[in-house]
Amino acid sequence: MKLKPVRVLMAVAILLTGTSAADAHVVAARLGDFYMGASHPLTDLQDVVLWIATGVLAGTLGASKGRWLIPVFPIGLLVGLSLAPVFGTVSTQLADATMMLAIGMLLAAAAQVPTLVLCAIAFAVAVIRGAANGAELGPETDRLLFAAGLACVGYGVVTLTMALTVVFKRTSDSVTSWRAIAVRALGGWIGAIGLMMASLVLAS
Amino acid sequence: MALHVPRALTAAIVSFALAQPALAHEQAGVAGGLVSGLLHPVTGIDHLIAMVAVGIWGAQLGAPAIWILPITFPLVMAVGGVLGVLHVPLPMPEVMIAVSAVILGVAVAARLRLPFPAAALVVAIFAIFHGHAHGAELPRAANALAYGVGFVTATGLLHLFGIAIGALTRWPFGERVIQGLGAGIAGVGCYFLAQGLGAVA
Repeated sequence: MKLKPVRVLMAVAILLTGTSAADAHVVAARLGDFYMGASHPLTDLQDVVLWIATGVLAGTLGASKGRWLIPVFPIGLLVGLSLAPVFGTVSTQLADATMMLAIGMLLAAAAQVPTLVLCAIAFAVAVIRGAANGAELGPETDRLLFAAGLACVGYGVVTLTMALTVVFKRTSDSVTSWRAIAVRALGGWIGAIGLMMASLVLAS
Repeated sequence: MALHVPRALTAAIVSFALAQPALAHEQAGVAGGLVSGLLHPVTGIDHLIAMVAVGIWGAQLGAPAIWILPITFPLVMAVGGVLGVLHVPLPMPEVMIAVSAVILGVAVAARLRLPFPAAALVVAIFAIFHGHAHGAELPRAANALAYGVGFVTATGLLHLFGIAIGALTRWPFGERVIQGLGAGIAGVGCYFLAQGLGAVA
């Protein structure tokens, strides 16, 4: 019995030395383009920052306002994706940075954004990012599957971020509670990133 | 005792099995940008102590400074970052960053209770100089957005660290510890100031 840990370690070591990269060919499978649509935005920092910012903004305004984004955001992504051929390879960097700055400032100011404005902001973000994701599609990609994957992940990310923010920042909290300040500080960070990125795009 | 050798051997085998090739080249892509951005404010000691001092001073000043500073500081710093990106020169940036550490350290050590607008103005001026130094690196980063996310996050966390230290002010002994820390920050700032002015090699 005393030798057991050693044997386990030996076995682990042998297994580790014998490993090779897993190659499951998900992308090449029949539904590969669905997974491509679902994973593509998660590998792009512009998407990650903007989607989370949108979800947090909706979450701070409460569930009653935020729940409108559950349909609006995925629809916006699909609209953006369908507009991708129109936009072509136009860079969305300045639009991304402007949206980061705007959402960050609204969060930092703890602004009570009306539902319609919130939906308009989320729709704009979704259209811009949908178009940006669509611009990188190859001719062999199944657009329908890609769109389904993109819409699903958009729905998931925004809904989850919003729900987590609603739970984190309870409506009963005062404006100076640490939870409210933490969310506003996050807004300050996002706004700062947006401001610098906008200047970088304009300078280059 | 007889088991020690196999154990050591096992440990060696496991270590070798787990070893990954070291990729020490120029870091590329999002990860590279993020790491360089996160490390930029932390590896510069003059930046680090000044950012922590801002947090401590904010905590000493109490409301509203303690909660306005973390929200507005990144935005004001970003204005400095924009100046850095646009290559707008600021007078003696290294000296000013060292001066910021000295003044903020002295403020903490002396428990300087400036009126909030005056304190905010002092911090804002220094924030622009710190942001300028970070922003100047932005166009050279592997991934500019990742670098920006990294350095804003690192700065925010340093603030948070400072505010957490500042929570010691609730106890009389903690207040003394913080004042000592402030004096230390001012001392290190003096060293960087001397270095910036060319007095120290």
